[in-house]
Amino acid sequence: MRHPKRTGRLSGPGRKVQLATAAMLLVATTMAACGDGKDDGATTSAPAAPATIPELTTDPLTLSFIWFEWPPAQALEAFANEEYKKERPNVTIKVNTVPNANWHDAMFTQFAARKTDFDIAILDSQHIGEAVTNGNILDITEFVKNNIEVDAYNPYLLAAYGQFPQAETGQRDENASLYGLPLLGDTWTMIYRKDLIGDEPPKTWDEMISVAEKCQADNPGVSGLAFHQANGSDAAAVTYNTVNGVYGGNLWDAKNRKIEGVLNDAAGQEAMDVLVNKMKPLTAKGSGNWFIDEVNAAVAQGKACIAFNWIAASGGLLDPKESTLGSTREQILDKLGFATLPSQKTDLVPLGGMGMHVSAYSAKDNQAEALNFMKWFERADIQKKWAAAGGVPSRTDALESPEFLNAGPFNQVYADSVPRMRDMWNVPEYARLVDIENTNVNAALNGAKSPQQALDDIAKEQQAVLDSSNRKGGGGL
Amino acid sequence: MVSTTPPARGRFRRLSDRGLAVAFISPALLLLLAMSVFPLLWALYLSFTDYSATRGGPARWVGFGNYTAVLTSAQVHQRTLTTLIYVVGAVTLQTVLGFTIAYLISRRTRGRGVLTTLFLVPMMLSPVVVGLFWRFMLDAQFGVINSMLGSLGIGQVEWLTRQRTALISLIVVDTWQWTPFIMLIALAGLTAVPKYLYEAASIDRASEWFRFRTITLPLVWPLLLIAVLFRAIEAFRLFDLVYILTNGGPGVSTETLSFHVYKVAFLGFNTGTASAYGILMVLVVIVLTQLYLRYLNKLKEG
Amino acid sequence: MAVSVDEAVSPGPTRQRRPATRRFGGGRGRSVVEVALLAVLAVVMLFPVLWMIETSIKENRDVYAVPAQFFGFTVTMDHFRDVFIAPGGGRSDLSVAFLNSVLVAGVSTTLATVLGVPAAWAYSRFAVKAKKDQLFFILSTRFMPPVVVVIPIFLMYRQVGLIDTKLGLILIYAAFNLPFTIWMMKGFVDEVPAEYEDAAMLDGYTRLQAFRRFTLPLLVPGIAATAVFALIFSWNEFVFAIFLTSSDEVRTAPPAIAGLIGGTTVDWGLVAAASVVFALPVLIFAYLVRKHLVAGVTLGAVRR
Repeated sequence: MRHPKRTGRLSGPGRKVQLATAAMLLVATTMAACGDGKDDGATTSAPAAPATIPELTTDPLTLSFIWFEWPPAQALEAFANEEYKKERPNVTIKVNTVPNANWHDAMFTQFAARKTDFDIAILDSQHIGEAVTNGNILDITEFVKNNIEVDAYNPYLLAAYGQFPQAETGQRDENASLYGLPLLGDTWTMIYRKDLIGDEPPKTWDEMISVAEKCQADNPGVSGLAFHQANGSDAAAVTYNTVNGVYGGNLWDAKNRKIEGVLNDAAGQEAMDVLVNKMKPLTAKGSGNWFIDEVNAAVAQGKACIAFNWIAASGGLLDPKESTLGSTREQILDKLGFATLPSQKTDLVPLGGMGMHVSAYSAKDNQAEALNFMKWFERADIQKKWAAAGGVPSRTDALESPEFLNAGPFNQVYADSVPRMRDMWNVPEYARLVDIENTNVNAALNGAKSPQQALDDIAKEQQAVLDSSNRKGGGGL
Repeated sequence: MVSTTPPARGRFRRLSDRGLAVAFISPALLLLLAMSVFPLLWALYLSFTDYSATRGGPARWVGFGNYTAVLTSAQVHQRTLTTLIYVVGAVTLQTVLGFTIAYLISRRTRGRGVLTTLFLVPMMLSPVVVGLFWRFMLDAQFGVINSMLGSLGIGQVEWLTRQRTALISLIVVDTWQWTPFIMLIALAGLTAVPKYLYEAASIDRASEWFRFRTITLPLVWPLLLIAVLFRAIEAFRLFDLVYILTNGGPGVSTETLSFHVYKVAFLGFNTGTASAYGILMVLVVIVLTQLYLRYLNKLKEG
Repeated sequence: MAVSVDEAVSPGPTRQRRPATRRFGGGRGRSVVEVALLAVLAVVMLFPVLWMIETSIKENRDVYAVPAQFFGFTVTMDHFRDVFIAPGGGRSDLSVAFLNSVLVAGVSTTLATVLGVPAAWAYSRFAVKAKKDQLFFILSTRFMPPVVVVIPIFLMYRQVGLIDTKLGLILIYAAFNLPFTIWMMKGFVDEVPAEYEDAAMLDGYTRLQAFRRFTLPLLVPGIAATAVFALIFSWNEFVFAIFLTSSDEVRTAPPAIAGLIGGTTVDWGLVAAASVVFALPVLIFAYLVRKHLVAGVTLGAVRR
């Protein structure tokens, strides 16, 4: 290393660094403070959408959605561009997709930025609380009153994808505000191998477990069960919640915001015991990080007797190119059956699917177009076409239509499941609640925690999140 | 090549030197101030508040509340332990392996260039590619690793879904990617050892081990230490590999500090807490960097 | 045939040399052990890369085959086609992401180079006050955990509207590459004798002219090497990309490739093909700057 001999009395930027640092600190504090000030005005309640659709533009316009990467996203884009263009030739539909694991973060970081590259957010039903509380999406209560035939829906479907505060299971509160409309209905279906366990699906959860056990014993190399166990998204959490519901447990006491003692009551403990000690031993080795795609792969490879998956994600199972079960759709359907979930103490099934929600930060023209799109989408004829295109509609007439029931072998399952649905907590703290549950259920499934310990930890940590609103610092740990 | 007509002699040489220094250095420093220092100061301010990026509302001053919460949280302690095991495990393993490979290569007379280049490939890959691919190879059902173990008569290993194996997998994958780094630097040190030292020792009939211990190691050690510190800093910040390979699982048993900060910052948008958490991590990094630079200076002077 | 011809043509030298190399060390047996060990290590290190390439040209049903198929599978180029062409025809999202990566990595590297090279020269040539501290400060910014930096950067970007823009990524990558560029280039400048510039100045050139005409041309190989490393850092970067961008039009390749898993099906063949396409430019570039690798990977701190 040679040392340059160049001299010259330079005071140099050394001192300047210190000065600049001081200045920056000042600016930082000021700017942060300013930022806060600005936030104050913009938050705490969702802005209202116009009750009637404003005049629409005739200029070319791109209506953007945000969803996660899966086949329904492509189906929606293709369907909307095909059909909506007939009414509005100047509009192009773009469905932006992000990885499922990044879905919540991608939407809410943009909401936090107060600038979104989407006009319609496709929120999970449990995201509504967070979005409404932060004022990220439009209140469309008046718009719905004037433009949507609410009587055409099962009230709970309308409530689940739009209402906040959250509706009680199976009901809709007509006085509550609405923030979204259903886009895609979904629930779990039981996928079973007709050639291995017979044509008749098991009726109760206990029966399902013993059938799976026998099937696994009779067919070496095939595991009895396949279901979601991963610690990301809402994978393991939905699995536990489903078993919890079936065995008569409750996730929380919504009125009193109580989780501790409710989730981990006797029914909750039994559910956890069934999941970890009876169901988990019937799954494939190393399946502890499985989610939608791995479960599908196991079924397509003929490696599972009974599997559980979201209906909207099951279409690929009938594709002979991806399957070893047969070389045509018919051959595959000879082996695969789709049924509603078995019941035990209750017949509850998990509510899946998503609604459409208008971003509060998108341009006025785009918001108007978004409302128009939603009104169009909820029309009886369009809902049937959406069903025929592979979507799952929400209007009762569309659900009962041959267009829907004949479009896929699992669609009857959905129609039968609608009255049985239960959702998770739809509160602003949802993301943290679901992470706590995911990681703990995943830990229990993979032997990192005892089932009892995991359940108690979930209840304790979730309760702490609900109670933490008034703590001085350290929130989020 | 170069113009030969000399232009007029600059009259204000000293002044222009000073001006030049300022003009050449300040744009770079300004960018760093704007993109590194200013954000960190902002984070420092936020770390004393309960600010949330999504909830808005006024940022209440909470003093050291966030810091005490982070430092006393059992959750944080657990992640610290995980990170520590990971850093020590990965860095030790890759140092031993990297040095071995470098030593073996340095004893070859031919094919050194080709060998070195081949060994370096993993280091050049994006952590995303590395993570995804190892996830594929470590799959318990159809992964090639279990398939090979199977043909040796060893049963399926749950690489990514058991507490211990998941952390080991993380260490193995990181070692696979970064052993070449240590190897490269160790090789630089080894090839710089003057031949005459060995020759002198060989005349003295010194044993191989003695030569290694008294000549090779002391000469390579300072360089190796720098490589180790550098890797320790990088490993301490690890995020992307965890995100892709295990997503922190099973449970939270492979969540590193960086991963936990991400969850605090983006799941509940507890920006204030996450900032305090982050600032504490930065302090650790600064200490490690200080160490790194001290050894670097020693090396340069020595 | 070809083998025997080669053997016939070059028999001598290798055989003759052997006794010479054997002279020191524990003899032939030990040498064989060492070579074998090296070979095993090389296979272990390279196997995942080979497996990745193999997976990228396998049909999907062979990809999932148990036990794994090492040879004798049908070769297909379909996955590579899928990387660039969308299923319905037209450009795939991945190819858009690749173009974004080229743009973001290219521009950020240029920016870091344009800002970093003059600064490195000034640090090398002038007695700047508190030079050591400044250089330490500069390097330490490079060591900040990205996950921590991304929080305030996110807040800052949302004030100025840089969230989910290529410019936002370019600026943060430039800032991350700048410390590296300065440290690396300072080393290169130190190697060019200052006397060249002194001589030029005695001839009447100003210092700036002396820098431009005499020093800068000598620095070109160093600048090229430095820029290539900056390019590789930006090209591979994932954390900022995933938190600061979300739309298809802006997303760079690493988050796009990560997004290939976690849908309803995972096409590992496509993941492998995308990875190969993504890694290829880096490997080529790395090969081009192999002489400077040690300096490059230590942020210019260690040089030979």
